[in-house]
Amino acid sequence: MTITVLGISGSPHRHGNTETLLDRFLEGAQSAGASVEKVILKDLEYTPCRGCNACHRDGNCIVNDAAPPLFDKIMAADCVAIASPIYSMGITAQLKGFIDRGQYLWARRFVTKTLAFSPEHLARHKGIFISTAGQNWDHVFDGAYPSLTALFHDAGFEYYDNIVANNMDTWKGIKNHPTALDEAARKGQQVVSVLEALKKST
Amino acid sequence: MTIKVLAFAGSPRRHGNSETLLDWVLSSMAENSDVAVEKVPLTEANINICRGCNACEKLNRCVQRDGMDTYHDKIVEADIILLSSPIFCMGIAALPKALIDRAQVFRSRKYVLKLPVIPPERKGKRLGAFLATAGQDWPHVFDAAIPSVKCFYHVIDIKDADISYLMINHVDENGAIERHPTAKADTEKLGKTMIAEIRKRLAA
Repeated sequence: MTITVLGISGSPHRHGNTETLLDRFLEGAQSAGASVEKVILKDLEYTPCRGCNACHRDGNCIVNDAAPPLFDKIMAADCVAIASPIYSMGITAQLKGFIDRGQYLWARRFVTKTLAFSPEHLARHKGIFISTAGQNWDHVFDGAYPSLTALFHDAGFEYYDNIVANNMDTWKGIKNHPTALDEAARKGQQVVSVLEALKKST
Repeated sequence: MTIKVLAFAGSPRRHGNSETLLDWVLSSMAENSDVAVEKVPLTEANINICRGCNACEKLNRCVQRDGMDTYHDKIVEADIILLSSPIFCMGIAALPKALIDRAQVFRSRKYVLKLPVIPPERKGKRLGAFLATAGQDWPHVFDAAIPSVKCFYHVIDIKDADISYLMINHVDENGAIERHPTAKADTEKLGKTMIAEIRKRLAA
């Protein structure tokens, strides 16, 4: 069966460094035989989480917009690649607004206890974070990882890998980076091979 | 001289735990007759997200026309700037993240255009504080929010040593902060300490 890979771009502008890195990852995945799809968050209509905790009653979000259907789509994929540039040492407000809407999945896991993932399920669902930053600090991505961990775990994904490239200001864009684009393509191919092998092993 | 306090309430939920923390600090500060406080709930502030267009690196202003037009000036004028946020999914909530990202115009002014953010005579005479609550009881639950908060304060010319933090974990349901053993006393102490410090700085 074909491996499905979903890419989500959380950048407010199109075809920048981060989306380019995501594209290369998806191309790699496609070349390895996966069915790939890309979603642009900025084109979707959704509001940030209201913090109303209504989902703690029945595990459902009361806000009907584009966010819950996208979580459904994420959970139907074998691999999800979430991309965001680093703004002010964190993910974009756009992506954070979306991730916070996943609170209803957290509520299903820990409040209503209607959602649980086996270790086998987690191993067969790989989450990857893709990011670029202008800053050259190595720790520039550190503030992003914990929220990505929350998203991956609540949606039933193993936090499998990061594809990150800092120092964009010096490189003058991802196209001049010596290794990042090739790394993204290679990792796109590799994750599909790993997922295929896992599927065959059952 | 009036001490100007500008406070951003960052929660999408009004009058919840993090905003209560902020209210306590503000009421402690407002006990002083020379302190003027203004609270801005970000739910009503009409601050769009940063588009990442980098135009501010050339224009020295943002191309978007929204609530930030007003708050830009208020941020420059204030002596004390407070920011409150709940922790959602291990990070700062999306509304305060949008405010922080829109402070990019100050970053461009300071580091790219190398222009002053505040008049030179006010350097070192501004203080900031970040107030946060989290449902989780993990001590590291605030760690990922702090770098973005520091970014915000640094670009508006409030240096690391002049940022205070009051972060209370393990308060989840509405009103839980009221039952916290030390939170209220901590906010009163913070309010008093900050006002005493800013008085000293402004007099210097």
